[in-house]
Amino acid sequence: MMEKLIKILEEIQPGIDYHTCEHLIDDHYLNSLAILALVAELEEAYDIVIPAVEIVPDNFNCAQQMYALITKLLEEE
Amino acid sequence: MTLNSYYSIAYLAVFLPVVIAAYTAVPKKVRWAVLLAASGFFFWCISGKLLIWLIVSVISIHYAGIWLSLLKEERGRCLAEAPKGEKRAIRQRFQKKMLAVASGMALFNIGLLTALKYTPFFAGNINSLLSGLGIEKTLPVPALAVPIGISFYTLQAVSYVMDVYREKIPAERNLFRLALYMSFFPQLMEGPICRYAQTAHVLWAGERIRFANLVSGAQRIIFGMMKKLVIADRLNPFIKNVFSDYMSYDGGVTALAAVLYTCQLYMDFSGTMDIVIGTGEIFGVRLPENFRQPFFSRTISEFWQRWHITLGTWFKDYVFFPLSMTKPMKNMTARARKRIGSHYGPLIAGAVSLGAVWLLNGLWHGAGWHYIFFGLYHFTWILAGSLIQPVSEKLCRRLHIRRTGCAWQAMQIVRTAVLVCVGELFFRAEGLRAGLKMFWNMVCNFRLDALADGTLFQMGFDRKDALIVGAALIFIFVNSVLKERRVCPRQWLAARSLAVRWALCYGLILFVVIFGAYGVGYVPLDPIYANF
Amino acid sequence: MNIKNILKKTAASIAFLTGLAVLLALVSAFFLPKNNMKAFGMEEPSANGILGERADSIDVLVLGDSESYSSISPMQMWGQQGITSYVCGTPGQFLYESENYLHQAFENQTPKVVILETNAIYRNFTPEAAVMNRVENLFSIFRYHDRWKSLNFGDLSGSVNYTWMDDFKGYRYNDAVDGTDGKGYMAFSEKSAVIRERNWQYVADMAQFCQDYGAEFLLVSTPSTVNWNYERHNGIAELAGACGVRYIDMNLMSDVIPINWAADTRDKGDHLNHAGAVKVSAWLGAYLKENYRLEDHRNNPDYEKWNESLKRYQKAVNPGSSAL
Repeated sequence: MMEKLIKILEEIQPGIDYHTCEHLIDDHYLNSLAILALVAELEEAYDIVIPAVEIVPDNFNCAQQMYALITKLLEEE
Repeated sequence: MTLNSYYSIAYLAVFLPVVIAAYTAVPKKVRWAVLLAASGFFFWCISGKLLIWLIVSVISIHYAGIWLSLLKEERGRCLAEAPKGEKRAIRQRFQKKMLAVASGMALFNIGLLTALKYTPFFAGNINSLLSGLGIEKTLPVPALAVPIGISFYTLQAVSYVMDVYREKIPAERNLFRLALYMSFFPQLMEGPICRYAQTAHVLWAGERIRFANLVSGAQRIIFGMMKKLVIADRLNPFIKNVFSDYMSYDGGVTALAAVLYTCQLYMDFSGTMDIVIGTGEIFGVRLPENFRQPFFSRTISEFWQRWHITLGTWFKDYVFFPLSMTKPMKNMTARARKRIGSHYGPLIAGAVSLGAVWLLNGLWHGAGWHYIFFGLYHFTWILAGSLIQPVSEKLCRRLHIRRTGCAWQAMQIVRTAVLVCVGELFFRAEGLRAGLKMFWNMVCNFRLDALADGTLFQMGFDRKDALIVGAALIFIFVNSVLKERRVCPRQWLAARSLAVRWALCYGLILFVVIFGAYGVGYVPLDPIYANF
Repeated sequence: MNIKNILKKTAASIAFLTGLAVLLALVSAFFLPKNNMKAFGMEEPSANGILGERADSIDVLVLGDSESYSSISPMQMWGQQGITSYVCGTPGQFLYESENYLHQAFENQTPKVVILETNAIYRNFTPEAAVMNRVENLFSIFRYHDRWKSLNFGDLSGSVNYTWMDDFKGYRYNDAVDGTDGKGYMAFSEKSAVIRERNWQYVADMAQFCQDYGAEFLLVSTPSTVNWNYERHNGIAELAGACGVRYIDMNLMSDVIPINWAADTRDKGDHLNHAGAVKVSAWLGAYLKENYRLEDHRNNPDYEKWNESLKRYQKAVNPGSSAL
């Protein structure tokens, strides 16, 4: 499932090593618009609803955090 | 005493020392009360009876928080009893109720802000519309007194209510703790706009004042005073002359005024932030930074992530994302992305939300068409930047321009600074029409005569003033470069020997005492951001 | 934090602040104007011209705002009574400034009479300004910091030498005429205009200072239809009573000081012009002479310079004739 996430990320913003980068937001690799695209994509791919409250740097700074968020939202369903 | 600015003797030499002494003297348990009383007094000194509006706001969000927490408890009970299949429906039902409570209270607070600050603007505009339509009726334009800092504390109130609703923080039961979060005196006039989770508990804890904090807080306060007294106030006569009598100067002078005003605004606001954050530091409260060397930004979008940061993040968290995360927007993004790709797809929904953010951002700065223009001006550049980004990347590749190279980045930095200065020209101009005229004058009538024949230095800003302002700016520039290189200038200072540290402190103090624009013949600049 | 640590930090703080005070005192000496002329950076040269006067030569000191230097002409009193007086009046003077001039004058002079023009008593100021004034008195760098633009090496040497004297002794000549009706501005009233506690205290302090130095302190209201009325008269009368000093209200003395409001004012009753000042000074000189046994120095060779100044003064105020 992690590989699926990485694939989505690379599709949205290529040229970043998502396995290692841990400051996607803080170092401005992903801007607000990329986040919008990402959220839309993730919701479709995993059939989840990401509420606005979860859009915080702590949830999007690296692939692991996003993965954790998705898992959490899937469990809540 | 006229306690009306962070630069006044009343604040720095009387109020602050008294509060520090009282804070130290009382037991830890009641130190919050000293801070709250001091904050109330400070507010009263500036706005008097208008304090009631702040109290109304505090009570309203206190009530909202408790209401939300009751709903949460009830939801918990319902969920525990309900069979598995109905849980989702219950959650949604409560979600709706809670959203209604939270947004109701948020709107109530924003309504207060709007009513107090914008009524004259709206009434005036409706009147000119009516007269334009040939209707004789006019609305009365009331002259309302606006409480100090309402634009700042209202945003804090909204963020508190929304954060409780989003379950990021628990509701606060203690009214006084909430009141202190809303009114802490250093941030009252010009922010920074804090979140409840950032400051409320530290403020309440009443940690003792540490010597190291006292020293570094004082250092930062003096640094801020330099920015304001030596630079912002010294630039004031020139800027005032050019902006109030704008048609008598050529384009070169106008352009210089725009640049110097940008400088003044930055020095005034960030200098105040140094005093505010320094004061917080003395009490062991880490207030969030509002600036991160904004003039090293390479794009307008980046500029706004480095300038008035707490306002930008507030708009992002409470307007931009909530708006773009609504169902219709999300659907639009998903569909558009399939058709026109990952770059342009989200731009459609994003543009709508961004537009809203910048309209509000402009309005937040004040009731006036030139502020709205200012907001939309930045919106245009940010949107344009996103639109042409892929094109420009492709073009650079074709022309073999290295986008990571020094020359390219320097060009970007200069370009961004120029765009910002033009924006500030409109921002400072006395009305939108004056701004447009000045801009036109600047472009069509650009001459350097005033500099060549020396008349430039006869407008309330002579060569010696320029020299001192230049020296101070170089000092600040070096400081900023260090920060950009991730060297903390103050840690650097702390690691020096006693002699170097003291010499630098003495030097800075004497610099402010001698070269500050205060005393006979100087009119201090009103704090710019306190009026927003 | 242990005791040793606290002591160490306290000592460091005291050392730092002492060092700062020493530095401020040093730059204060550096920035202090080395002569009492505008070119040397002196503020208000006409009021500070007193610094150039010979020690113990001034018998009457006048303090106050623009009313004082518009209505009282020391040179006329010199010509008529041989009294030496000086007007340390400045535009919009605040009482703390009056006090500064008072203290400054007594450093080098021993006036026998000190007059405070009362309009300044009703000029309010913030406690902040008063505090700042005390700081400026302590470290003059705060007052003269703006001189950095004109500093030269002469300022480094540090010796002060006041050489300039004002021929007009603080009086500011103005012969413009802009008359007014002026009737009934002193209509009787029982009420009295309130004097701020702070201002009251400053006047009381000045009265006490004069008493300590053996000088008579006198409150004088010079004629002004714009600034004066009966309520203010009552307010000052109360203050004078409380301080035990004499009060003279020239606004109620039209029989002996016959101000013609159509001709004797330069700005519709706000300030007197030279014609008005002549009338006020004529009466005041006679009054001082009669009540305070002031010496006539006109034939004293030590005061020769005053006679020289008088000639220049007469030439300036009476371009046509040579006699007063």
